Amino acid sequence: MALWDKDRKTWLHGIIALLLGFIVLWISLSMPGLHHRLVDGVNGVLYFWEKPAMELRSIISLSSNWVLERASLHERVEQLELKNQALREALQLASVVSQEPRMSYVNALVTLRYAGDWWTEIRVDKGSAHGIELGAAVTSDGCLVGRVTRVGDNYAWIELITSSTFLIAAAVDETRDLGIVNGDGRGNLRLLYIPESGRVKRGMSISTSLMSDLIPPGVPIGTVLAEEEPREGFFPLRIQAGAHLTQLYSVQIFVGRKK
Amino acid sequence: MAIFIILLFIFLIQDFLQVLVMGISLVPDLFLLCIIMLVLVRGGRKDKQTTLIWISFIGGLIWDLRWTNLPGLTSGFNGAVVAAAICLWYKAPVQGRTTPLFAVFAFVTQILSGMVHFVFWNVSTLAAMRQFAVQQILSLPALVILCYIFWKVSERNA
Repeated sequence: MALWDKDRKTWLHGIIALLLGFIVLWISLSMPGLHHRLVDGVNGVLYFWEKPAMELRSIISLSSNWVLERASLHERVEQLELKNQALREALQLASVVSQEPRMSYVNALVTLRYAGDWWTEIRVDKGSAHGIELGAAVTSDGCLVGRVTRVGDNYAWIELITSSTFLIAAAVDETRDLGIVNGDGRGNLRLLYIPESGRVKRGMSISTSLMSDLIPPGVPIGTVLAEEEPREGFFPLRIQAGAHLTQLYSVQIFVGRKK
Repeated sequence: MAIFIILLFIFLIQDFLQVLVMGISLVPDLFLLCIIMLVLVRGGRKDKQTTLIWISFIGGLIWDLRWTNLPGLTSGFNGAVVAAAICLWYKAPVQGRTTPLFAVFAFVTQILSGMVHFVFWNVSTLAAMRQFAVQQILSLPALVILCYIFWKVSERNA
């Protein structure tokens, strides 16, 4: 009691600050629109100060990845070159002149990933001013990592494939079985609505199915890990994501096709 | 005014470091630790101390809006912990208000600050625990530097 009497004013300020903190927390949880506006405002103000740190982080990450991935990329390039050569020869034999539309992506740096929403969403430093549209597919290392859910002029929020509200049509490449990819908010992925057991095997690859102009078909999502217990007559499949979702420093956002 | 500018600079440094280690760890709460040092080392007027309580609140709110997604959490915690530190510090006898006691205050503040955020993360994964551990390890050099500054300033003011 003596402690309270002597420093009543200081205690009072501390208690008021604590209560005010809870009130702000309650307001922000009950008014998500205001919350998002404030978050984007603060992010916008701090953006220029943080830009050099983001670039530095990106350079460090790219340098370390470059060393680690160089060997595997070499191998992949060789395989793709051989495949490309074979396809060219096949096209020449068939006398078909092919002009595939070129997919266009914008590179963006990840500027925010909340620890509490680790598997749910990220924020990037590119927005509508760079051609990014709502619903656009987002990839990393060529594999799908999410979809744009909110866009500002110079920023965008991306819902990750591991989010529990994320649903996207996908196909098993080897069998052409169609299903829906869904996350659980804890880093796990599932392909739902597979009707037949045993048809899809471990290691088979899964890619996007035709959904909209902003999510191109054939973008790799991951590979099948295992079949789970049947639910409502379907056999959910556990999937391993193709992208390194724990190491997202930069992403590529689909902005359409160019002829 | 000088204190305000110093704290703004420290806040920006903390923000800059957080961008660098984003995804690996949370940075130590340098801003809060500096405020704790300022309220304890100055031992000055009560109005200065209450101003620092509210500066810690505002800094915490901006931090929440940038990094935690829970606006009010860090701000409320900061205000309460600074007030508690002032009251407990001046409850100790004058002879006991030494650098080791300050080190204890700063260390406990840093641990509590990390724990508050850790508890409010709705996923208690290994990754979150690793982030907490790394944060505490990163805070050690900052604590040593702050204790050194506290010791030097206390000596000068003695």
